[in-house]
Amino acid sequence: MTRTRFVFSSLLLAMLAIHGGAEEEPGARSKVAGHVPEQNRQAQRAPAPADSATPSSTSWWTPGDERVLAPLAAYGNSFGTLGILNTGGPVVTAGHPFFEPIGKNGRACVTCHQPANSMSLSVEMIRRRWEDTRGKDPLFAPVDGMNCPHLPADDPKSHSLLLDRGLFRIFLPWPPKAADGTRIDPEFTLEVVRDPTGCNTHPVYGLASANPMLSVYRRPRPAANLRYVTHQKFGVFAFIGKNGLPASRDPETGAPSGMNLLSDARQPTLKTQAVEAAVTHLQFDGPLDDERLRQITDFEKQLYAAQMTVDAAADARNRARESIARGHDVFMFRTFWIRDAMHLNTVGLGNPTKRTCATCHGMHMMGMDVANGWMDIGTTNLPHAREEPLNPWNARKPELPLFKVTCKSSVPPHPFLGRVIYTQDPGRALISGKCNDVGTIVMQQLRGLSARAPYFSNGAAESLREMIDFYDRRFDIGFTEREREDLVNFLSAL
Amino acid sequence: MAFLLAVGTSAVWAAPKAGEPLSFVSCPIVRDTRTVPCWLAEHGGEMYFLTLQTDVSAPVNPPWLGHRVLVEGVVSEEPSICGGRVLKPLTLSVMPDLDASCNTVLPAEERYDLTFEPPRPPGPSKGRLAFGDPAARDAVATGGPAMDFSLAYEFDGQVAFRHAQTLQRILDTARAAQVEEVRITGYRSATRLSSGEVMREREDIARRRAEQVRDLLVGAGLDSVKYTVRWQDRSKRPGLSGAENRRVEVALIARR
Ligand code: HEC
Ligand code: HEC
Repeated sequence: MTRTRFVFSSLLLAMLAIHGGAEEEPGARSKVAGHVPEQNRQAQRAPAPADSATPSSTSWWTPGDERVLAPLAAYGNSFGTLGILNTGGPVVTAGHPFFEPIGKNGRACVTCHQPANSMSLSVEMIRRRWEDTRGKDPLFAPVDGMNCPHLPADDPKSHSLLLDRGLFRIFLPWPPKAADGTRIDPEFTLEVVRDPTGCNTHPVYGLASANPMLSVYRRPRPAANLRYVTHQKFGVFAFIGKNGLPASRDPETGAPSGMNLLSDARQPTLKTQAVEAAVTHLQFDGPLDDERLRQITDFEKQLYAAQMTVDAAADARNRARESIARGHDVFMFRTFWIRDAMHLNTVGLGNPTKRTCATCHGMHMMGMDVANGWMDIGTTNLPHAREEPLNPWNARKPELPLFKVTCKSSVPPHPFLGRVIYTQDPGRALISGKCNDVGTIVMQQLRGLSARAPYFSNGAAESLREMIDFYDRRFDIGFTEREREDLVNFLSAL
Repeated sequence: MAFLLAVGTSAVWAAPKAGEPLSFVSCPIVRDTRTVPCWLAEHGGEMYFLTLQTDVSAPVNPPWLGHRVLVEGVVSEEPSICGGRVLKPLTLSVMPDLDASCNTVLPAEERYDLTFEPPRPPGPSKGRLAFGDPAARDAVATGGPAMDFSLAYEFDGQVAFRHAQTLQRILDTARAAQVEEVRITGYRSATRLSSGEVMREREDIARRRAEQVRDLLVGAGLDSVKYTVRWQDRSKRPGLSGAENRRVEVALIARR
């Protein structure tokens, strides 16, 4: 069934490829990106919960509920109030594909992109759902709401990455697929050093299965402010400004993509992204039809999210405002040595470069990179990534998989990590197959942070304070206590 | 040429005069200042100023600690900057292999303060690029659009961030002019260092460079033109600067 539905796009591709030389770019040629048919096969293979329950609660949006999303919705969080601005006017959720459980597991897009969490999903909300539904919410569906689909569904241990860190399983074919579905020959070999989830080594879901698939674990990214995230202005060219390689393109218009969606920029547009999201997260079988895709992307483009207010009595509020203003100046002007960050120090700035947070987080309104935002700041690559210290006094065990990447001799070594790299998530390299992309992650927008802890794509920072401490260690910044507090307050107010 | 070779072999340890070409490989050194850091390199007992930290649009981009750098320049008469003699013109190539011994960051000292305003501060630039848009800078102003392009490379280098804009212009021009054929020629170069040692680029680099440019143009969608891809070895008679020959030329041939 599924296979026949995907045939059309591969035929088209065969025709386009006739002119080309060595054409090996990832991306999408139809609305279906090259790697999605394999994902579809695994998702259909994974079990779907039979007896799910998803009762409503005050701030939780349940798939299939008949509700109206008002032009402005407000949600409290520990710092103040988050606003969801819905510029297209009230949205009736009944029948709307962002809100309807259209796949086979009872989830909708809104399951993981909740208004109260700035259209992402906080780990606090995930834990509350687990308690409220005793793990029956489709949120916990085996396909990616479990460390691996083969595990026992009602054991919280099977969902430890989701419950502890807010991470969903992202499964991608390995070796990577070009836009036309052909194989990309990676510049490196990849071995599984450890995998507590068991998924990468599993005979049905893993790398050695009939449908070879690599699993990494990532946070949902906010499905709001996407007009900014997918902007077509300054910095968006046919060639990627960081490495000169061709940017992926909108399969319909041919326009280059800013390549800022998802942790690895594997999808060029909101439309192609929605096709993948339905196939993987919702276990919808095959590509979504154009009408529902239009409804989803229209909705995504009319939605804005940001922290609106700081909750405090007048006095405290004024102090908070002063701190936020100082935090802004720290973010913009406080210099430190940025060193050995792939795709930042390599793009003409020198290594090290004496700069600020805003050097990387420079996009108007969003604080992402202006374009093509994948970089390695050490969140997933060793030696900087958060790893469980192994010693007899620590009862905790590593939870994330660890991969060993060896760059082939036909390419130059990675400029900062050499030929052998240990990583929890190869990031963009899973899509491009490039040695220099190992562990590079597309930076997220900085909006609505107060509503959606933990942070970084692998949830390594439980709080904004931990996130700042990470930067302080990574770049040897020497922030004062006050600078840290001010930065936390500034980021909380975005 | 004979003059250059003489310099290369006999005058290494004497302080070079203005106008003298120099080529050497060494560790880059960072010298902090009150504003942006300076980049320096030592050779033959002299300190040379390479460049300042600015932004991606700079004509000379700073090298990388953790790697050695090939410096190909001409000693200039300009006053020293950050305690280093100025080289102008100057080409820098970051050597691909890692070298952990290149790790010197010197602290700011008043005597090395810049005597001028740096082209851009270390923080946000208020939208100003220090050197303007490099693509616009070297666009040919006269007549129709230029149909010949050149991409310059670092030693042993292939396409990197700095080529995105030239590739974009090639693509735009080829589309606008409905070009029929794209002729690509890649070159391999070599450099004779001031010490007399010759550094040759990897043997297949000319071909790799040329083929990569074709692949990238095809990858960006320029797939219905004829490509003619050639490569040439220009490493036989190395000079003190091999920068000129580390290049790819692209000629767009219009439909007649
Ligand atoms: C099971 C949870 C889940 C569901 C259901 C889900 N998503 Fe997501 N979403 C994620 C995760 C996890 C990511 C980040 C993936 C990555 O970085 O590789 C993400 C990322 C996104 C992004 C990228 C935002 C950015 O700035 O990069 C968009 C847009 C998005 N989802 C839209 C959708 C749509 C549309 C649907 C429904 C068709 C949907 N999602 C369903 C978990 C989910
Ligand atoms: C070298 C570039 C660079 C610099 C400098 C930088 N960042 Fe980041 N930032 C990134 C990247 C890349 C990510 C995504 C990493 C990941 O998710 O694994 C990120 C992620 C973040 C996030 C997480 C957002 C989320 O949704 O999880 C926050 C917050 C953040 N940075 C704040 C800061 C602050 C504050 C500073 C200054 C102390 C700073 N950044 C400096 C590149 C940078």
